[in-house]
Amino acid sequence: MKISKKIIANLKEGGVDFYLSVPCKLLANMIDILEKDKDVYYSSVPREEEGMGICAGAYLGNKFPCIMMQNTGIGNSVNAIVSLLQLYQMPVVFLVSYRGTPGEPVGAQGGMAKITEDILQTLRIPMLHCSSENDLEKISTFSKHAKVIESPVAILCDFNLMKED
Amino acid sequence: MNRFDLLNKLQNIFKDNLVICNIGLPSQELYKINDQPNFFYMLGSMGLSSSIGLGLSLSQNKHVISIDGDGSVLMNMNTLATIGNRAPSNYTLLIIDNGSYGSTGDQRTFTDEDTSLKAVAIGAGCKNVVECSGEETANKLSKAIDDQNHSYVIISKINSGNVKIDPIPLNPITIRDRFRKFIGKVKYL
Repeated sequence: MKISKKIIANLKEGGVDFYLSVPCKLLANMIDILEKDKDVYYSSVPREEEGMGICAGAYLGNKFPCIMMQNTGIGNSVNAIVSLLQLYQMPVVFLVSYRGTPGEPVGAQGGMAKITEDILQTLRIPMLHCSSENDLEKISTFSKHAKVIESPVAILCDFNLMKED
Repeated sequence: MNRFDLLNKLQNIFKDNLVICNIGLPSQELYKINDQPNFFYMLGSMGLSSSIGLGLSLSQNKHVISIDGDGSVLMNMNTLATIGNRAPSNYTLLIIDNGSYGSTGDQRTFTDEDTSLKAVAIGAGCKNVVECSGEETANKLSKAIDDQNHSYVIISKINSGNVKIDPIPLNPITIRDRFRKFIGKVKYL
């Protein structure tokens, strides 16, 4: 719970006040925290691409949105990222549970893990890769940076960082 | 009645609300009929008009109309479940259902065969689902906006067919900023 609390506290410190998720077991504690938090909006959504659309609308309405998802969700959302969020220069934070990184028990998750950072690089999306607790301190500044550069940004949280939380 | 006729008839309702308009011909037709700063034209991301409108309605109090199409809703059908469970009362989804992919040459969609978006919307949890003719749509849409307590999904059944029209000459940042300025979220411009 300690890691999840720190991540949410840093996102809120960075100004994020609207949260969606397509659930992942590594995100479960964060979802619990957000469901009890009356200061921010939270909902699950069925699919990441749809969540990108909802985040775009929330930004138009002056919220600072974050979508939490597995790295597989990046693959589901490429067109929405490019032809909506980037086309209109909308800041959105992607909080990504990095499935398929060391510690992952499910071999099939390895495929998307191998190409996740390549996809984000191809999309020119700034990345913050969190593999230790110390990395989490960078989340608030990194989130604020999304608003400054008017762009989506991605925070990748390694399997081993989240698994014992 | 085709889409252009319908949008033309609804323009006075649109101009007093925040409108998210579907990519392609719907946006181009709306732009030609009566461009307004409170219209957000989608230039990409087919399928997400309903979702953008939903996020906007959850984030501020003005009424939001998402203009969508049957082909686009078929592409992002999970949106109906999210709307059914989460849409606030300042949200109306207007599905212009002409049974065809209008922007790509009027190929038939499944709503021209056996799919009922009304039945799907009800099954997905939407409570106020209205299916009506193009002629009845203005009345139904006004009632939906006036109802302060419920969100609506309106499915307007019209004929396929398009008018010849040019792409929208606005760049995306202009569309974004004048829209946000209208709702008081940016001070510049």
